Amino acid sequence: MSYGSIMNMPPPSREMSRKAAIVGLGETDYHLDYLAERAKAPGYESPTVEGLCTKAFERALADSGLKREDIDGLALSFTFGGPPPEEMAGLLGLNPRYCIANGNIMAGPLPVVCADIAAGKADTVAMVFCVASRTIGRDFGGSDEFSGEGVPTSYYYYHPWGWSSQAAHWAMIFSHYQATYGATEEDLGSVAMQLRKNTETNPNAVMQKPMSLEDYMGSRYIVRPLHLFDICLVNDGAVCLIVSRADKAKDMPHKPVEVAGWGESKIKHSKLHTMVRERLRPQFQDAGRQALEMAGVSLSDVQHFEGYDASTMHLINHIEGHGFVEPGAGLEFCKAGEMAVGGKLPTNTWGGNVSGSYMQGWAHIAEVVRQLRHEADGRQIKDVEVSMSSLAQTDQVHPLVFVRGD
Amino acid sequence: MAEKRPDRWLGPGHHREFWDWCDKGELRLQRCGGCGGISWPVVNACEFCGSEELSWEPMSGRGTIVSWSTFERDYYRGLLPIPWDTILVELEEGPLFLSNPKGFTWQDITIGMPVKLAFIPCEDSAGEYSLPVFEKA
Ligand SMILES: [Zn+2]
Repeated sequence: MSYGSIMNMPPPSREMSRKAAIVGLGETDYHLDYLAERAKAPGYESPTVEGLCTKAFERALADSGLKREDIDGLALSFTFGGPPPEEMAGLLGLNPRYCIANGNIMAGPLPVVCADIAAGKADTVAMVFCVASRTIGRDFGGSDEFSGEGVPTSYYYYHPWGWSSQAAHWAMIFSHYQATYGATEEDLGSVAMQLRKNTETNPNAVMQKPMSLEDYMGSRYIVRPLHLFDICLVNDGAVCLIVSRADKAKDMPHKPVEVAGWGESKIKHSKLHTMVRERLRPQFQDAGRQALEMAGVSLSDVQHFEGYDASTMHLINHIEGHGFVEPGAGLEFCKAGEMAVGGKLPTNTWGGNVSGSYMQGWAHIAEVVRQLRHEADGRQIKDVEVSMSSLAQTDQVHPLVFVRGD
Repeated sequence: MAEKRPDRWLGPGHHREFWDWCDKGELRLQRCGGCGGISWPVVNACEFCGSEELSWEPMSGRGTIVSWSTFERDYYRGLLPIPWDTILVELEEGPLFLSNPKGFTWQDITIGMPVKLAFIPCEDSAGEYSLPVFEKA
């Protein structure tokens, strides 16, 4: 396993369900760090991977109430590289018996650690994620784009036609969606506005300025028909989740957040067709069913949803793909307020990748932890017991199901 | 005058034979001798059934527009003019082919409109070549 590899999850099974739980949570100061990076005051130094990881880890450790010696595992996930696991363990003052490089984007890393805990490789693992994309000045398109082993062909194949970038995928999907369902840019703007509104109660969100429809429509196009406010943020930060054996988790200060289910489904052929016309629905359905079956719950039990919003359009792909609403009904669902706290499916209640923070799915899990602990101040979903998160890249879907422990 | 384009071999997967056919004025894709499916982009084994029995079959060049996207952000740092139009074409034979419109822009597009194949002279760091694009049918 390395930091960069595309993760393969351990196969979902009932026996693996609720064997491990999240017992500690730490995040860096997304909002303040973003402001500092923009302002670049004299003497400003870009945050380092080591510094960000240390901050997130210390906060998670304090949150968990555990001592350093209680942590016998370390799993590191770095999007643009970082120190080797053993070196990072030393920096964090840990001497773990289990110490791995664990990919990067969430969801894969969590099932890997849960399965390893179930297999007895460790009891309590600090999972630390860091992305320092802004610091290294990476652009998400053009000749810089990812092109290594295992990367989907759509990321590099169409350079001669000048087509690249994540945003272009979602733009191609939305043009087709508009024509199919008669949706407008204003309709899609409702998703951007909802995500921004969700940050009203999240002081750590990168973007907190209220957004009107006029603001949305006036924001520049990145790839037509998508505006700047349809696309995920780019900011630096780290997230630490401390994950422990479920039986040990019951004696800890917070309500444990149990990892109950996961699933995985990848496009095997006809990628552009599946992506643009079906919007990954077969993969959402397949992977979602695996995760729900493993967790022993049904889709209608899900009271809180965290979807990987690489763009506003892509969040609608999740909502429709999993079957929370029929294909084509997602934007009306959002406009009716059903994705807000108090609606039928509160979604990305902290602001998501689009307005909250770009932590590659990890900050979505942080919100799951707050919601299921019933500690989401100002935006708590009443009596929530079951949350579902969902990662979907352009060619694969990885949902996770979480339940509030006893 | 050849248009400058980003390198065809920026990624790991491009295939000499595809571009050789383009230079001869033909759009040829790989048809599977096992299941009959057409794979695109270029594969080593059929994307539908895994067979390696593949042959380069000429496409009719007729298709319809499935979607479009237009770059307002200059990802290629001045290499291509902005705005930059791209289209997704469903070829008569089935595959979806990502390309550029010739002689029309995104404002002229309706989804489902028929288009036909054309080649334009282009150039990248490997030299001049013919690029398959689509014009109104
Ligand atoms: Zn075949």
